[in-house]
Amino acid sequence: MLKKFFILAGLILLGFHGGAEETRLVMSAPNAVAVGDQFRLTFNINKRGENLTLPDLGNFDVLMGPSFSSSTSIQIINGKSSQSQDFAYTYILRAREAGSFTIRPGSIEVDGKVFQSNALTIQVVSGQAQGGSQGSAQGGQAQQGSQAQSGEAQGATGNISKSDLFIRLELSRRQAWKGQQIIATVKLYANPNLPLSGFEEVNLPTYEGFYTQDIEIPQQINFKREVYNDKIYQVGVLKKTVLFPQQTGNLTIKPFSITTLVQQRVRQRSFFDDFFTGVQTVRAKLTSDAVSVSVKDLPPAPADFSGGVGEFKISPELDQTEVTTNDAVTFKLNISGTGNLRLIQSPKLTLTGDFEQYDPNVSDNVRASEAGVSGTKTIEYLFQPRFEGTYKIPPLTLVWFNPNSGQYERQSTPEYELKVTRGTGDAGTGVVRSVRKQDVQTIGQDIRFISQNQEKLHSRGVSYFGSLLFWAVYLLGAAAFAVFFVVYRKKMAENANLALVRNKKASRVALRHLKVAAGHLRQNQGEAFYDALLKAFWGYLSDKLGIPLANLRRETATEALETRQVDPALIGEFLSITDQCEYARFAPASGAQAMQELYDQAVVVITKLEKQIKR
Amino acid sequence: MYKLIPIFLLLIFSTGRVAAREELPEQGSKYYTAQEYEKAAQAWEQVLASGRESAELYYNLGNAYFKMGDHVRAILNYERARRLAPQNDDIAFNLSIANQSVVDNLEELPRPFFSRWFTALAHHASADGWARMSSASFLLFLLLLGSYFFGRSNLVRKTAFFTAMAAILFSLVSFSLARHNHTILQNRSGAIIQCPRVTIKSSPSETGTDLFLIHEGLKVEITDSLDSWKEIRLSDGNKGWLRDSCLVVI
Repeated sequence: MLKKFFILAGLILLGFHGGAEETRLVMSAPNAVAVGDQFRLTFNINKRGENLTLPDLGNFDVLMGPSFSSSTSIQIINGKSSQSQDFAYTYILRAREAGSFTIRPGSIEVDGKVFQSNALTIQVVSGQAQGGSQGSAQGGQAQQGSQAQSGEAQGATGNISKSDLFIRLELSRRQAWKGQQIIATVKLYANPNLPLSGFEEVNLPTYEGFYTQDIEIPQQINFKREVYNDKIYQVGVLKKTVLFPQQTGNLTIKPFSITTLVQQRVRQRSFFDDFFTGVQTVRAKLTSDAVSVSVKDLPPAPADFSGGVGEFKISPELDQTEVTTNDAVTFKLNISGTGNLRLIQSPKLTLTGDFEQYDPNVSDNVRASEAGVSGTKTIEYLFQPRFEGTYKIPPLTLVWFNPNSGQYERQSTPEYELKVTRGTGDAGTGVVRSVRKQDVQTIGQDIRFISQNQEKLHSRGVSYFGSLLFWAVYLLGAAAFAVFFVVYRKKMAENANLALVRNKKASRVALRHLKVAAGHLRQNQGEAFYDALLKAFWGYLSDKLGIPLANLRRETATEALETRQVDPALIGEFLSITDQCEYARFAPASGAQAMQELYDQAVVVITKLEKQIKR
Repeated sequence: MYKLIPIFLLLIFSTGRVAAREELPEQGSKYYTAQEYEKAAQAWEQVLASGRESAELYYNLGNAYFKMGDHVRAILNYERARRLAPQNDDIAFNLSIANQSVVDNLEELPRPFFSRWFTALAHHASADGWARMSSASFLLFLLLLGSYFFGRSNLVRKTAFFTAMAAILFSLVSFSLARHNHTILQNRSGAIIQCPRVTIKSSPSETGTDLFLIHEGLKVEITDSLDSWKEIRLSDGNKGWLRDSCLVVI
């Protein structure tokens, strides 16, 4: 129980302690003063301390101090109260001589501990005739006549001398590589005594030939003291921009202008003026000088130069190395560093056709600050493997130009291996997958290769058309055809005549054969008679029908007679005679009577045939 | 009688060609493959200098000049090759690529459809190709005519008659196409501009009015000539005179 209580108490105490602010001693003073000016050196601390020890202030006289003041503020937010205290020790100093001096840290004791302050550098300018930071109206009036006169002159003409109020464009460098960042600051310089009351018509410079990015600065313009050309000015920063030259050569930033409102004391002209018109607001148009920057072109770039100028670093990130088909894989490439990050082209990830690849997603987070533009650019490559297998993701290389070293630098990602296994629910389920058809891309164009046919050469001007041979083909062809036609025609006619003659002679030949047969019949020579009778028949038919004897048989003769529309009864008679003759040749037993009958019959048949075949 | 026909055909297809015994064309191809285009071009030019030619030779020479970057001579040789072999699509393709380097862009005059069809048909074969087809189909016609006259059956005679008519028609058409191609081949009216830029005058003298400006590689047609001046016509129909030193006849 007791233990728990102690722990709780310890925690509460720790909480208190943690919440308490750290004790710090802060020394502050204006960073630019003139010789003979009075100024304040203040030490601030949030706790009451003792034994404030001043550092050695060799070049400054301590006119007064320390004067001590303290303030306490109590805040109550949502019932929680917080208290802060501030203790200030102020010295009034005066500079003795011109130059830049460093005031070393002072120290103070708080609860027995010694705290050191920061160190300060103060620039002391000589020849600043006018009063210091607290230059009051009284001080101004106390000055010598010449200064007062110049003030009057200003008041009268409404002009303010250029050394009292001007604007200026400050560049972090005047020589740069193309794409190297330059920080441009638009500053308003004003004499501390010049009471500025505002601006009108602020025309900020247009940076032609540059890619620009604004640096965010507080809306409220903070004036700071700064020494410029051995004079102290109140300096306000109007705008800060990071410039990336996009062209080479001498780039000029055109003058820009601002109209300021200045309150001026007007010399009293009458008694009444003094009361009401002691101060007059004057418009002063300020115009800056043109500033030029010489921009060098980058040395010859390697082929895979990304366009980045600055200092970069890449870090790759593959979300998974073992996937299933059609899973989405993301490959991230982070580019971080300072320079023209936004202008860097994404390196191309070339995968084989086995992947469905999508356009990379590019996002950047870029900040512009006093140090220039810095941040990160993330390129996400998304792809889906289509088929299983082990694939290699090729290394990506980023090449950029480092303006500090004046050389190209490169960094590559390692090569990753991606294992793809077959996922469920695709190919093989019987569903026809649709494959996106692509047009064949034309990569280049070239003439076709030479012909290898080894075509035969021919003499120039020689052609088949119009040659002797060409015409000869037509003429000889036609002539040959004509000859062929005539000859063939004639022969055919002759053939036809021969048949006719034979036809005509047929009955005579048959009669002769019959006569021979009649002779044999008288002499009773049976065999010879039948032979002669057959000869008479076949010879007659051969001549009459135009069929050679060799081809003439019972069947062919019957067919030929039938085509000539001979009476079938007659054909039957003719066949029976030939059959009897054939039969009697091998068996000659019949008498003279039968032979005589056959002979008469044959004469009748031939006479009938002669009549019927005539057609 | 039938035995004569093969002898005729043999005669037709074997004449008009001179056997090339030299190795030069082959050597040129070897140089070309080894990307020694200048040597290849030299070898082929030598063959041409000996008075012999072929579409293939001009085509290969054009390729060599194209690879050497001499687009004007490439175009010239492609055009010469195309005259001999209008049916070769490799020649047409390479010519179209070489023509991409020609600065002048002319809009061709429209031609009536039958003229376009006739040209397109004529481009399917060379002059000699059409001539051979014409001869062969004429002989075929005679053969069919013979079978029409002396054919035994009616079907044979009918078929032979109609085929014979088709053959004689084809023979006539291909004869006219051959004559068309042959006329183009003989006329040599086409020319290529070889000066980088040349001003075309309105009359054949230096004092003539400047009409228009054309650039190298452009194909023009020569329509008239006077001394060393030539009148040319562009494919868009414009006419004018220029000195013949700026022209190479295809």
